[in-house]
Amino acid sequence: MKKFQLNEKQLGYAMILPSLLLVIVVTLWPVAQSFYNSLFDYRLNDPTRSQKMLNANIDLERYVDNYFYIEGQLSDLEGNAEGDQLEVVQQARETIEGYHQELTTDGEINAKIEQIDEMLMNFEPISDAELKYTEVDNDFASDYRSALENISAEFQSIAEATDNEQLAQSFEQTGSLLAGTSDNILESNFIGFANYIKYFQDQRMWQSLWNTFYFTVVSVGFELVLGLAIALLINRAFKGRGIVRASVLIPWAIPTAVAAMMWGFLYDGQTGIVAHYFEKLNMIPSASWLLSTSDGGMFAIIFADVWKTTPYMALLLLAGLQTIPNALYEASNVDGANKWQQFFKITLPLLKSAILVALLFRTLDAFRVFDLIYVLTGGGPANATESISVYAYITLFSQQNFGAGSVLSVIVFLCVALISFIYVRLIGSDLFAGRTK
Amino acid sequence: MSKRAGIGFYIFLAIFVFLVMFPFIWVFLTSIKPVGEIFTSFSWFTKSPTLSSYEAALTNRPLLRYMLNSFVVSSLTTVLAVGCAAFAAYAVTRLPIKGKGIFLGVVLAASMFPQIAIISPIFNLVTDLGLRNSYIGLVIPYITISLPLSIWVLSTFFHKIPFELEESAKLDGASPFQTFRKIIFPLATPGIFTTAILVFIAAWNEYLFALTINSDDIWRTVPVGISMYQSEFSIPWGDISAATVIVTVPIVILVLLFQKRIVSGLTSGSVKE
Repeated sequence: MKKFQLNEKQLGYAMILPSLLLVIVVTLWPVAQSFYNSLFDYRLNDPTRSQKMLNANIDLERYVDNYFYIEGQLSDLEGNAEGDQLEVVQQARETIEGYHQELTTDGEINAKIEQIDEMLMNFEPISDAELKYTEVDNDFASDYRSALENISAEFQSIAEATDNEQLAQSFEQTGSLLAGTSDNILESNFIGFANYIKYFQDQRMWQSLWNTFYFTVVSVGFELVLGLAIALLINRAFKGRGIVRASVLIPWAIPTAVAAMMWGFLYDGQTGIVAHYFEKLNMIPSASWLLSTSDGGMFAIIFADVWKTTPYMALLLLAGLQTIPNALYEASNVDGANKWQQFFKITLPLLKSAILVALLFRTLDAFRVFDLIYVLTGGGPANATESISVYAYITLFSQQNFGAGSVLSVIVFLCVALISFIYVRLIGSDLFAGRTK
Repeated sequence: MSKRAGIGFYIFLAIFVFLVMFPFIWVFLTSIKPVGEIFTSFSWFTKSPTLSSYEAALTNRPLLRYMLNSFVVSSLTTVLAVGCAAFAAYAVTRLPIKGKGIFLGVVLAASMFPQIAIISPIFNLVTDLGLRNSYIGLVIPYITISLPLSIWVLSTFFHKIPFELEESAKLDGASPFQTFRKIIFPLATPGIFTTAILVFIAAWNEYLFALTINSDDIWRTVPVGISMYQSEFSIPWGDISAATVIVTVPIVILVLLFQKRIVSGLTSGSVKE
């Protein structure tokens, strides 16, 4: 019996399928989703905005429940009120019944209302979102809402003006019931680019973007220069390479959050040894400067980042250096070139692609910085070290504001896309070399 | 550039290694001090070393549980991610399929996506699937985060294996998948091992997803757990330094054992050979 076999092509497609699916579901789709979320006033902690609604909706469960009481209370008021007040009540009743009738002319909605009515009578909980919410026309929703609010306001003012205490109380009760009902009519929370406009005028957003940019340029700059210097120095035969390599890899290998906790201890104004020595050496005004001032905070973060990632940079550049053939240096020695000439004419040009690739990875990593800042300074003091990712995280998960937070994450995404685009243009096709046949 | 190293060079090296390792040395020295001494003196060595900070670090918070969580999540991630990536890298480097450039481009682009841009939809997804505070809820995003790196590194390794091997396997009547399983995969074992170490370390270190998705204390991973040692009123530096030492030791061992592999994996993506 011959087993079913895939040919090479089919096998190839089958083999990339799992990776492709994962990448689409866990990275491409979420980015699109983040963008979509950013167009809504979408807050997890606010029941009227916890769903993304392109159209207006009515929370039928609560609406039906309230409507039952509205009918009863309005007929009670009709029995007790007199003169002008009676007229107001009658008019209110007419208006509300009119809207309710308009709502129930839709057969589907009517069926839903009847079903919910029955379930409420039996005290059954309504957990099916399909049944609970119904989409309605945007204009209808906003008209109905404002009609209910107007009547409610009118009733409240009657309640204040009237002398009959019992009547005043009934008017007030009905008024607040109507106001509550208007909250069951959820207007669409699609707000388009309003969130973006809000953030473009937001001081804190620009501050955090600037902090991120500053952090990225300064720390990556130092890492490149120091990394290159170290790579050049250790690019030779010596004893104990293993120790140097291990000591260089350990800072890279430990979790950033753990490194941040460690540096938090070393920088501490009272017990921190680094802060203490820096103060003794007159490098900083006082030991508490590092974590309690904005300049100090930024310095502390950059210093910790340089400590953690320079070794990685040095390793990447060292690997690049080792691919440069020795013969080039020997030939230039014969031609009488000095060390500087060799560095600028041979080393740097041949190291260009290794430098660019290392810079690409480091720049993107630095721009996305989150854990180092979140753990070490929490973005403080006074948001002076807050990166855009930290700001986005706080908006998303501390304030539970998924709409506005998504705007910030989209901004990070766009910046990162721009940075990668520039680098990829600079590096060109080298990036793919040696991988496809 | 092979220069011989002189005495000055070794002094420089010693200073360099000392500076890089200084935070670890100091944290270790702090972890064996009695707690009172941490807040009162800057002397390097304590006269009465004690393990009480270690005891406190292990009993005040479930540090061993954090390590177990991290270990399970990272191991699962490593196996699954390297499996998927090995398939994809093999297909891209050695099978005649169309759209390789596009596929690699998509994967590379995905590796550049900032995690903050995907966290909220993934949070919603994981919540809807009921996977918050579980291992799988973290493993799914972690696999995807480590896929690009794995595919990248593995395709470099696969590319180095001679193409003649497959042709002779084909002549002997092996199916394409048999060729992969019996010929190429065993030969690529060093590369696969290297990739596995990198993926393991990356998953062990991840913070943002672990912080958001697993918010229950018993489901926290090491990086998140450590950052929760700070209490509202005081910072227990003794506990923190002991905990840091405990969680750093496994990584140090890993690095010491596999340093050559790690370096070859890290640099394989960046240097043309």
